[in-house]
Amino acid sequence: MDLYEIRGGRLDVIAEEAEHQELSRESTTMADGGARATRGVSTFQRFSVDTNESLIFEPWGDSLPSPTGAQDGHDDVFKEGETESEIVTTRNRLQGKVAEMENFASHLEEIFLTVEENFGRQEQHLEQHYNDVLQTLSQRYDDRAAGLEEEKKGKMEALYKQLLACGQAMDASKELIETAQEVYRSQDKRLLLKAVMPTIKRIEEFATEQVDLTLSTSLEFDTPLADLSDVKTMMDSINVVPAPSAPVINPQMPNSATQTSLRVCWSLFSDDTVEYYELYYRPVLEDTPADSTCAPHVSKVKVKETHCAVTDLLPNAQYELWVTATNTTGISPASEKTLYMTVPSPPVIKQRECTSCPEAALIRWESGNTNPVDSYTVELSEMGTDGAESGIAESVVAVPTCQCLIQLQTGRRYLISVRAVNIGGPSDRSDVITVSTTGTFFYLLEDTAHPCLSISEDGFTVFYGDEELPISAMALDDNNTFTRCVAVLGDLIPVRGRHYWEVEVDDGTEFRIGVASEDTERNSYLGANNTSWCMRHILTPSRHKYEFLHNGWSPDLRITVNPVRVGVALDYERGTLSFFNVDLEQHLHTFQCHFRNYVHPCFGLDNPGALTVHNRIEAPEYSFI
Amino acid sequence: MAVTQVSSNKCSGGFQKVFEHDSTELKCKMKFAVYLPPKAETDKCPVMYWLSGLTCTEQNFITKAGSQVPAAEHGIIIVAPDTSPRGCNIEGEDENWDFGTGAGFYVDATQDPWKTNYRMYAYVTEELPKLINANFPTDPDKMSISGHSMGGHGALICALKNPGKYKAVSAFAPICNPLQCPWGQKAFSGYLGSDRSTWEAYDATALASSYSGPQLDILIDQGRDDQFLSASQLLPDNLIAVCSEKKIPVVFRLQPGYDHSFFFIYSFMNDHIKHHAKFLNA
Repeated sequence: MDLYEIRGGRLDVIAEEAEHQELSRESTTMADGGARATRGVSTFQRFSVDTNESLIFEPWGDSLPSPTGAQDGHDDVFKEGETESEIVTTRNRLQGKVAEMENFASHLEEIFLTVEENFGRQEQHLEQHYNDVLQTLSQRYDDRAAGLEEEKKGKMEALYKQLLACGQAMDASKELIETAQEVYRSQDKRLLLKAVMPTIKRIEEFATEQVDLTLSTSLEFDTPLADLSDVKTMMDSINVVPAPSAPVINPQMPNSATQTSLRVCWSLFSDDTVEYYELYYRPVLEDTPADSTCAPHVSKVKVKETHCAVTDLLPNAQYELWVTATNTTGISPASEKTLYMTVPSPPVIKQRECTSCPEAALIRWESGNTNPVDSYTVELSEMGTDGAESGIAESVVAVPTCQCLIQLQTGRRYLISVRAVNIGGPSDRSDVITVSTTGTFFYLLEDTAHPCLSISEDGFTVFYGDEELPISAMALDDNNTFTRCVAVLGDLIPVRGRHYWEVEVDDGTEFRIGVASEDTERNSYLGANNTSWCMRHILTPSRHKYEFLHNGWSPDLRITVNPVRVGVALDYERGTLSFFNVDLEQHLHTFQCHFRNYVHPCFGLDNPGALTVHNRIEAPEYSFI
Repeated sequence: MAVTQVSSNKCSGGFQKVFEHDSTELKCKMKFAVYLPPKAETDKCPVMYWLSGLTCTEQNFITKAGSQVPAAEHGIIIVAPDTSPRGCNIEGEDENWDFGTGAGFYVDATQDPWKTNYRMYAYVTEELPKLINANFPTDPDKMSISGHSMGGHGALICALKNPGKYKAVSAFAPICNPLQCPWGQKAFSGYLGSDRSTWEAYDATALASSYSGPQLDILIDQGRDDQFLSASQLLPDNLIAVCSEKKIPVVFRLQPGYDHSFFFIYSFMNDHIKHHAKFLNA
C-alpha cells in the first residue's frame, strides 16, 4: 500500500475517533464506562499494531458493545484513561506533523514554480541574445562581402584597361614589323631608301617607347582584420548580468532603531545581481534652511547585504537615507529617499517629584531629549518580598506628558521606569525608581518655602532659624513662595483617597500643621483663610494652647498632653481631616470639609524651631474610624 | 440573675429594650435600658455603659441622646441604668432633686439611712456588668463608660478607680470636682459623711492626681453656655489642670452656644461613640 495512503487512512481514523469521543462524552449513562473501556481497547489496537488491517476503521455499532464483550476481556480496561490520553497526544502530534508536511510541500511547489519561471525567462533571454549576435554577424558579413566585391571590380577594370593598352601596343608593333618587312621586301631600291629612314626612325621611336608590363593593381585583396570585439562583448555579455536597477528601500521597521543606530533594510529586483550596495544617509535638521551652506554631511556605508546597521547617530533624530546597488556592470540609480528615526534618549525620573499613596503613584520625569518625543511608556513590575523583581510587569503606554498617575495595589513595592517613544521605537529604560505603596509619600515643594525656612538635605526637616534675613531675600518676588507665614507645602499625590502622615515637633515650637489648597494665599497665615486647615500650637506664658484653624476660626479645646508627634489623616471621601497625638493614639480634632480641590500638606513655624515630616507610614487603624 | 423584659422596640436596625431585675446591691427592683445593635444578632459585641445625670431614669438617654444610630454603625451595645435606687422608702429620698432618688452620684453610701440601698458605684461597676454579660451577647473584656453631668462624674470615677477595666471613657459636662462644688458637697456629705478624706475616693480630680494604670484617653465635651458651668458645679478646669500635670490625655472641647441639655448631648453623641469604638473595636 502506498505510504501516503496509509498515513491518510490513519488520519481519518483519528478524526473519526475524536468525533466519537465527543459523542460518548455527551451520553452519561452508566454503560458509558464500559463503552469507553471497549473503545480504549480498540483504539489501542489501532495504534499498537502497525499493519494495514489496523487502519481499517470499523464504525461503531448503534448499540454499545457490552462491557463484558470478548474484546475487553483484557486488562487494558485499567489503562483506559492512560491510553486515551496517549491517543490524544499521538493524534495531536500527527496532526502537527501533517500540517508541517503540507506546509513543506506547498513550499516546494512554490520553489518549483519559481525555478521554472526563472528558467523560462533565462532561456528567453539567451535566445534573444543569440539572435542579436547572429544578426550582428550576418550584418558584418554582408558589409564585408560588399566591400570585397567593390574592390574586385576596381581591380578587374584596371587590369582590363592594362590589357587593352597591351593589345594596342602589340598591334602597333605588329604593324611596325609588317611595315619594316614590307620595306625590306621592296625591290625598288629607291623606294627602299625612301621608306627605310622613316621606318627606322619609327622603329627607334617604338623601341624607346617603354611598354609598362607590370600589373597596375596588386593581386592581393586588402582585407583589414575584422573587428569582432563588439561581437565578443555581446557574447561575453550573455554571461554578464546587466547593471542593477534601483533598489527599493523599506520603510522603518518597528524596534529596529536604537538611540544611536538604525537598522535599514532594502530589497532588489529578483533579476538583479549585485556585488555591493552603498547606503547614504544624512540627518534631517528641521531648523536648517534648505539652502544653508552648512547642509548636513552625507555619510556613506558600503555593504554586501540588503540591510545595514548605521551607527554613531544622534538620538531622537530623523535621518534621510537612500541606497544604490553596484555590480561589475555598473551602478544602479539611487533608491527613493526615505526617512528613519533614531529612538530617543531615556527619560530621567525626577525622584524628588514622585509621590505615592496606598492606591497610586505619581511619577514625574524629564524628557531627556531636546526635541519632543511622541509619547512615553511607563513600565512597572512588582517587587517580591525577597527584593527580587517579579516577572509580572505592566506598562502604561502613550503617555503624552512627562508625568503619569498609576493605579497600584496597596502594601506592595514596585519598580517603575519610563521609556520615551517616537516612531523609531522606545528608548532604553530610565533609571528605576522604587515605589512603596505603604502609606502616603511626598516631598516638600521647596519652591513654596518661605525664605526664612531651610530644608534638610533629605527634604523632610524644616528649620526656622532665628537669624535675621537680608531684605533682599525677603523681597524675593516669586509668587509661589509663602511671604507672610513661615511655611512650606508638601507635594501630595492628587488621589481622592485616604492619606496619612506624621509630623515630629518640639514641645516648645509654635507650629501650624495641616492642609492647604495648592493656590492658598501665600501672603496669609495658614488657617486664616478658607483654603487652609491647620492645627496650631501656641505657647502662652501659662500654658500650651492648641487651635484647629480654618477661615480664622478655631473650636475652643484643651489638650492635656502636648503632642510631639502629630498624625494627620486626610480622607477625601468622607471629607475629614483628623489630627492625632501619635504617641497616645489620641484623637485631637477632626475637620469636616468636602475638599473640592486637591489639597497639599502644609507645615508652618511661628517661632524659630524645627519640625520633621514622617512619610510612608501605614495609617493606624484608629485614624480612619 | 433573672431579668424581665419591660419593653422592646426595633431601632436603627437593632433593638432598644428595657429590662427589670431585682438588684442585690441596691435591694430593690431596678430598670435598665439595653440597645442591641444588628451585629449582636450574630456576634458578641462590646458594651458601653452610659450613666445619666441628676433626675434621669433609664428613659431619658434612650429617647433623647440619639445614640442608637452610631451604636448600630459601630456594633456597640449600650447599657443605660437608672440613676439611683427607687422605691426604697427611705425617709427624705424624694425631697430633693439633687439628692436621694434620681441622684445616687454613683457612690457606695456609708451613712445611714442610705448605706443599705445607695450603692450605685458597686451596682454599675460590678453587679450590672455581671448581669449584662450573663444575659446578652457581650464581649466581657470590651467595656467602656460614658455619662452626662453626674453620670459624667460617675463615668470618670469608674474609669479612674478601675484602671484597665474600661477600655475608653468620655463625658458630657461632667461634674469634675464634686469636692469643690455645691452638688458634690451636698451629696457626698449625705452619702459619705463629713470626713472629706473619704470623698476623694469619688472625686475625679482627686483620683486623676493619683492615677496610675494603663493609658487613658478621655474625651470631654462641655457646652460653653451651660448654666451649671457658670454656677461652678462642673469645674472642668480643675480636672484639666491635674491631667495636664499628670500627663493624663484629655481632649476637652468647649462647645460654644450649647447648654447642659440633651440637645447638647445629642449634638456630639456621634463623636463620643466613635471615640469609644476606637478602643472597643481595636
